[in-house]
Amino acid sequence: MQKMNSQTWKKVWPYAAAIGTLLLIWQITAFFSPPYLLPGVPAVLERLGAGITEPEFLTSLKESLFRLVVGYPSACLLGGLLGLLAGLSRGFAVYLRSLIAILQSIPPITWIPFLIILFGFGNVPIITVIIIASFFPMALSVMNATEGINRTHLEVAKVLGATKGQLLRKVYLPETLPSFITGAQVAFGNAWRSLIASEMVGGASSGLGFSIKFAGEVAQMTDVLMYIVIIGLIAAFFDHVILEWLKRRMLKWRYIGGAK
Amino acid sequence: MIMQTLEIQKVHKSFGSLKVLEDVSLTIEKGKFAAIVGPSGCGKSTLLRMVAGLERPDEGTVQADGKTIDHPSPRRMMIFQEHALYPWLTVGENVEMGLELAGISKEERRNRAQKVLKTVGLEGFYHYYPSQLSGGMRQRVSIARALVMDPDVLLLDEPYGALDAMTRLTMQNELLKIWEGSGKTMLLITHDIDEALYLADRIFVMSARPGKLVRTIDLDLPRPRNRHGQRIGELRQEIMQLLGLEE
Repeated sequence: MQKMNSQTWKKVWPYAAAIGTLLLIWQITAFFSPPYLLPGVPAVLERLGAGITEPEFLTSLKESLFRLVVGYPSACLLGGLLGLLAGLSRGFAVYLRSLIAILQSIPPITWIPFLIILFGFGNVPIITVIIIASFFPMALSVMNATEGINRTHLEVAKVLGATKGQLLRKVYLPETLPSFITGAQVAFGNAWRSLIASEMVGGASSGLGFSIKFAGEVAQMTDVLMYIVIIGLIAAFFDHVILEWLKRRMLKWRYIGGAK
Repeated sequence: MIMQTLEIQKVHKSFGSLKVLEDVSLTIEKGKFAAIVGPSGCGKSTLLRMVAGLERPDEGTVQADGKTIDHPSPRRMMIFQEHALYPWLTVGENVEMGLELAGISKEERRNRAQKVLKTVGLEGFYHYYPSQLSGGMRQRVSIARALVMDPDVLLLDEPYGALDAMTRLTMQNELLKIWEGSGKTMLLITHDIDEALYLADRIFVMSARPGKLVRTIDLDLPRPRNRHGQRIGELRQEIMQLLGLEE
């Protein structure tokens, strides 16, 4: 039992140390600053405890999560599909790479004014930016995996009598699944960043990005810090808990012990 | 059941400017165990892939029972050098793959897979993943994956090339047990002369660049054969001379 604990601790301490360092720097700086300029960790945590039950905050959170939950999976689906097609057709791969190269040289947030004029304020411009920002890591990852598929795995299936559709479902999909998940993790970072940024630059008058900008405008430093912590926590939760869990579940075979 | 006679006639094949096979003709009768030996680069794998339907000749014909082979068929199963199991599937799921593709019910698939796994000595490994098995066990699974389809022809592409010497000998004996009395036609590609001599009724010796058939040897020695018997020794020497490995 003692051994188990020490092993868990071995895994956990780097994370704990990283979080601890940041909080420590914050707290030390807060000692030398007036509280209205930089409130300490306890003050912000206290505000956080109270803040997460306030209706304004809950609405804000709900709005942001809604945009994320619509935009991010759409981007993953679109990216995965395009990547798979590109992996199967060389011509389409060149086309997709060029398209992505162009889109990548334009920061996604740049589309906001354009989209607002086109669609008006609200969810549509923000969700569109999320999709633009996060479909391509998925597409590139899946495209590379599809191009590099194990030829023998395909031939085995052909010999066993697989049709084209069966090849896709039984070989291409499972073999590219690890890349789907890596792509989805990178895409999530992009989606989250562009979501908050879009809300900040005025895509909508609600959401976490809007709330933090508003708190900044009225110089509410405690609220600004509270939103920073929340935005960080949500992203960490999605990336390290939900996506990681999904990965372990879907790629069970990868986490099974080595040769016996 | 109709067993297949394999007939390869005047086959030529090039990849780009590289001539791989030149005027190769050979026949393998139904139910016989044939082996092709030759150095790497003699096109023996290409020949096997043609019989499997994964490759087409530039000239000449490759036929099974008088019908030209132009696509893979579950009647002719190929066993690859690198076991080529799907790492994301369990042993059982790997074995059942072909049956699943053919739309056979889950229950029947499971029964047939269990039976075949027993034949290759892997009872109880149904739920393991390939990464949990040794090299020899993985190759047994890939043999089971082919056997479960009950093919007329088994095509073996240096199936034991990646295994250690001791495992290889055991696997050869197991292969004979599987084949004897089954009526299946076997075509084994190997660069191991002893393996061919121990297993085959008929040995085709090929030379490299371009690949040509240099000799056909018929062995009617009873099995199990003595790996160190006199006749085997003479034939080994003959093949080694043909391949320029011995004066």
